[in-house]
Amino acid sequence: MKITIQQLRIRLILPVVLIAVLAIFPLLGVPRSWFLYLFLFFIYLAMANMWNLLAGYSGLMCLCPAAFIGLGGYTIAIFTWLGLPYYLGIIGGAIVAAAFALLISVPVFRLRGIYFAIGTLVVPEALRIVFFLWKPVGGEMQGGGAGYMVKGIGGVSMAEVYWLALAIGIISIFLMRIILRSRLGLGLAAIRDNDRTAASSGVDVFKLKLYSFIIAAFVIGMAGAIFYIYQGYIEPASAFNVRWLMTIMLAAVIGGMSTEEGPIVGTIIVVFLHFLLSRYAGISLLIQGVILVGIMLLAPQGIMGFLRKTRAYRSLLQLATRR
Amino acid sequence: MSQAASLKISNIDVFYGTFQALWDVSLVVKPGEIVALIGSNASGKSTLINTISGVMHPARGTAEFGDQDISTLDPFQIVTLGISQVPEGRRIFPEMTVLDNLILGSYNRRARPKKEQNLKMVYELFPLLKERKNQLAKTLSGGEQQMLVIGRGLMSDPKLMLFDEVSLGLAPIVIDALYKALREIRARGITILFVEQNVRRSLKEADRAYIMKAGRIVLDRNVAELQEEEIQKAYFGV
Amino acid sequence: MVLEVLGDLSTPVIMGLLLGGLYALIALGLSLVFGVMKLINIAHGDLVVFGSYFAYAAMTMWGIDPILSLVMGVPLLFIIGFAIQKYLMSRAFAVSMEAPLIIAIGISLILQNTYQIIWSPMSRGLTTSYSLGGFSLGGAVVPIVYLLDFIAALVVMLLLREFLKRTYLGKAISAASQDKRGAHLMGINTGRVYAFAFAIAMATAAIAGVFLGLTFPFTPTSGVSFLIIAFGVIIIGGLGSMLGTFIGGLVLGLAQTLGGYFLGAAAQMLFAYLIVLVVLAVRPQGIFGR
Repeated sequence: MKITIQQLRIRLILPVVLIAVLAIFPLLGVPRSWFLYLFLFFIYLAMANMWNLLAGYSGLMCLCPAAFIGLGGYTIAIFTWLGLPYYLGIIGGAIVAAAFALLISVPVFRLRGIYFAIGTLVVPEALRIVFFLWKPVGGEMQGGGAGYMVKGIGGVSMAEVYWLALAIGIISIFLMRIILRSRLGLGLAAIRDNDRTAASSGVDVFKLKLYSFIIAAFVIGMAGAIFYIYQGYIEPASAFNVRWLMTIMLAAVIGGMSTEEGPIVGTIIVVFLHFLLSRYAGISLLIQGVILVGIMLLAPQGIMGFLRKTRAYRSLLQLATRR
Repeated sequence: MSQAASLKISNIDVFYGTFQALWDVSLVVKPGEIVALIGSNASGKSTLINTISGVMHPARGTAEFGDQDISTLDPFQIVTLGISQVPEGRRIFPEMTVLDNLILGSYNRRARPKKEQNLKMVYELFPLLKERKNQLAKTLSGGEQQMLVIGRGLMSDPKLMLFDEVSLGLAPIVIDALYKALREIRARGITILFVEQNVRRSLKEADRAYIMKAGRIVLDRNVAELQEEEIQKAYFGV
Repeated sequence: MVLEVLGDLSTPVIMGLLLGGLYALIALGLSLVFGVMKLINIAHGDLVVFGSYFAYAAMTMWGIDPILSLVMGVPLLFIIGFAIQKYLMSRAFAVSMEAPLIIAIGISLILQNTYQIIWSPMSRGLTTSYSLGGFSLGGAVVPIVYLLDFIAALVVMLLLREFLKRTYLGKAISAASQDKRGAHLMGINTGRVYAFAFAIAMATAAIAGVFLGLTFPFTPTSGVSFLIIAFGVIIIGGLGSMLGTFIGGLVLGLAQTLGGYFLGAAAQMLFAYLIVLVVLAVRPQGIFGR
């Protein structure tokens, strides 16, 4: 289907405008709490997109995003302690996470399906202990338990952090778009359908899964580093906590696993929920749990999956693309 | 052991999702008969057998056993009614002993009180199983495993037994033994419907035959009346 | 005497073996469910802690001894387990492979939050007259509860084993785990069999919860750590084998105490996790698995 320049222009206008609006948010004098939620939104979005890449498209039910997040966070903490600029720390965090993914892929990829899930469940726990014991930079403990201040972050303004989050969020969307339409995406679709058939058709299953895994680790690590710039403080129990997994998974599942737009929709809902339930911190997990169970039973394809089946959505889509 | 219940499948359509596997299929098996269901790969034979067993359900048409509608029942309920399937692929429980495999065969309510008597019958038919009763099922040879599966099917106290390609992958000598067992099973009053790819062999053993092609029944005849050309035409569509 | 040969090691070895009993007890239910239905019950740890909290409630509200409270706790969790499998999980299996896992996470969230609401994040323990006592065994001073844990684990393991081997339902559960379609075709109502398997697993979890509470303090989020321990146990010991799970528990307990002995208390769990990862990489079906 050939697209004319005209159509391209129209197609791009909406997203570009949207991004521009979001970008100038900080300069609009918007209340700080909004900021926080938008910031969280983009961070979670990046992570949810990557988790969706793994679980929804690569057949890798990865329960270890916290590992990458924590590693990204600690990397930036270490970099700033050493006096290096924070943007190097962000790249560093991404690279460390990706390298770690490469490292554990050797044992962990030999496991299929459920065994893989369990293996990935253990990894963040192990890392938590490692970082509890290892005090990488001269051990200035804050509040017990090997916590660190992310030094030198005072110099980074809220706006800059926000833009970083915005960037990684948008990048993750584009990344998904590109991957899914590339040869990698084609191979992944084959793998998700049936591992063995894909292998016998010449798809190098291991390599493709590895690529997905490393890409996801890279982006998640980066998002984690950016998060900890904002947070300014990191300690093992929360960095490697399984809560990360639950939030990300909730977002991807509600929105619709194995759909491109799913994580976007899901993350909006999850952040919105955080906002709504902030006053009821006591029962927020409960509600999230109920929603998770409910969605899986009633609309397991998530919102996007559900919408796709409705005629209204399909006609809307036709209208939008025909132009 | 059998009562006069006929299997009557009338005009069923069966789908896998949107793919139609069976088209307007009708079939009758009367008590005491041996009926052969013949056809090449993908002709729908296994689908038909699985539909009778309740693994799949017809979208249209009726399936009755005696005067009981079985088209919407679960597999375990159909077993309780007296229809037992010996599936293809020698599906034993590999980690359990021969004896345990057989005992499990009599799991359904109707068969449990008859466990001892059926076990005796199975041992008479397949003395080998008695010899190996404490061995793990996975240590048996292919032919022995097939006997085990048949024995297990017999333990469920069936009135009608469905055999899905039981000779697949077995040596001719073993196949002979299996069909001999089939005849003895019929002699004990159990009705038999078996699925085969080997046309000649099936016609030797059966009273009546159905030939299937691409999800339809193309021939339905008493074996005695079948002509060679008719078979060829039906099977190969020549 | 073996213990004399072990010398200084005798304390961690004995403690490790006994503690391993507790770990095995926690893992037995999970092993059953995982082996039969290939279900990763992420909520298993939280369900074990449910047993702990229930016993705690029985103790604080009615003054009932935790072990006695099992008379109520076991049937309660049995029924809850049956319901979860029958109404939630069975539907989830029909949806997709990941759905049961996700639902389990949902259940885990719900449970953890509920515990927090009712009993606050403070850590609780089941302290009784006997839970603090110790006795000496070969030079080591061992808490009585450790021994109780071990005995309970052994008893439960043997009971489960006999059940699976001798009863019709037990055999049906084993069969369904080996070949679901085959089991179905034999007149086994696999739906009901799975529900019973899950229910039994939950009943075991109730027992594990009580002994857990007697041995260690617990909080609303304890479930996660015990889930990981439980998985570690069944990975080491092998799927679907009750005896294997028991031995896996002992191995894990030993790994922990020996790790603590050689590497220091802070690193003890790390050593255990490493063993799990090694086993996963080298022989994922475990020592006794198929």
